[in-house]
Amino acid sequence: MRTSLNEIAAIEDHLLQRHTPGAALLFEAKMLLDADLQNKVSSQQQVYSLVQQYSRKQLKHEIEAVHQQLFTQPEHLSFRQKIARIFLNR
Amino acid sequence: MDAVNLEEQAARQQLFTALYQKVFPAVAKYVAKCGGSFEEAKDVFQDALVSYYEKSRSADMTVNSSVGAYIYGISRYLWIRRYKEGNQTTRLDDSYAAHIAVETTLPVAEDKLLNFLETAGKRCMELLRAFYYDQLPMTRVAQLFGFSGVRSATVQKYKCIEKVRETVKQKALTYEDFLE
Repeated sequence: MRTSLNEIAAIEDHLLQRHTPGAALLFEAKMLLDADLQNKVSSQQQVYSLVQQYSRKQLKHEIEAVHQQLFTQPEHLSFRQKIARIFLNR
Repeated sequence: MDAVNLEEQAARQQLFTALYQKVFPAVAKYVAKCGGSFEEAKDVFQDALVSYYEKSRSADMTVNSSVGAYIYGISRYLWIRRYKEGNQTTRLDDSYAAHIAVETTLPVAEDKLLNFLETAGKRCMELLRAFYYDQLPMTRVAQLFGFSGVRSATVQKYKCIEKVRETVKQKALTYEDFLE
């Protein structure tokens, strides 16, 4: 792999706490001495957070699609009626 | 590209449909009994599904109760917290709070960035999603995305992180409140 990709892999090991104790210590020392590395670590952290937000958003779309199917398609009529009765009987 | 994750998506669709049929009626009954609406029941139930999905994918999966009881419990917890008036009188079981990270509202700039990535970086985002969020094994990721093997999928994963990181950097200049 390219050097830059190896660095990304090392940052990932650091962020996901997969380093061995020795490697972790070494990486933290490197970070202290290298402001550029510090910046890369924090922006990579941001990437993981964006991936999570992105994924959650997609998953919610998928769930909403299931909801729409259950509440519009003819084969789910009895399910719909069951739910409708619950809110009707209040 | 949209065909890529189709198999996994179909499996999820099946899972969510089954859970809807099995658990949603009980959640609806609870919410209705407390005077809540259909929309409220839908809202909390869907977030409970997200919470369950995330929990089931993580390595430290320990849903002690049955799946149905878990989703019902989370839905109930969310409904009381969001909709019940004077909820300070109700004792909430805080053991649920730890599981729930589903209601974060994004800052505007971050939301813009997300929208940008959804279009411009879709393939990378889907790959990263499969690996980090869905936690699929790398062999499966390679297969889904048409890579020759685990190694080339791994290299691509790191390239994608690099690409998204670059995008974040560039866009941060445009949406200056992003890195506040």
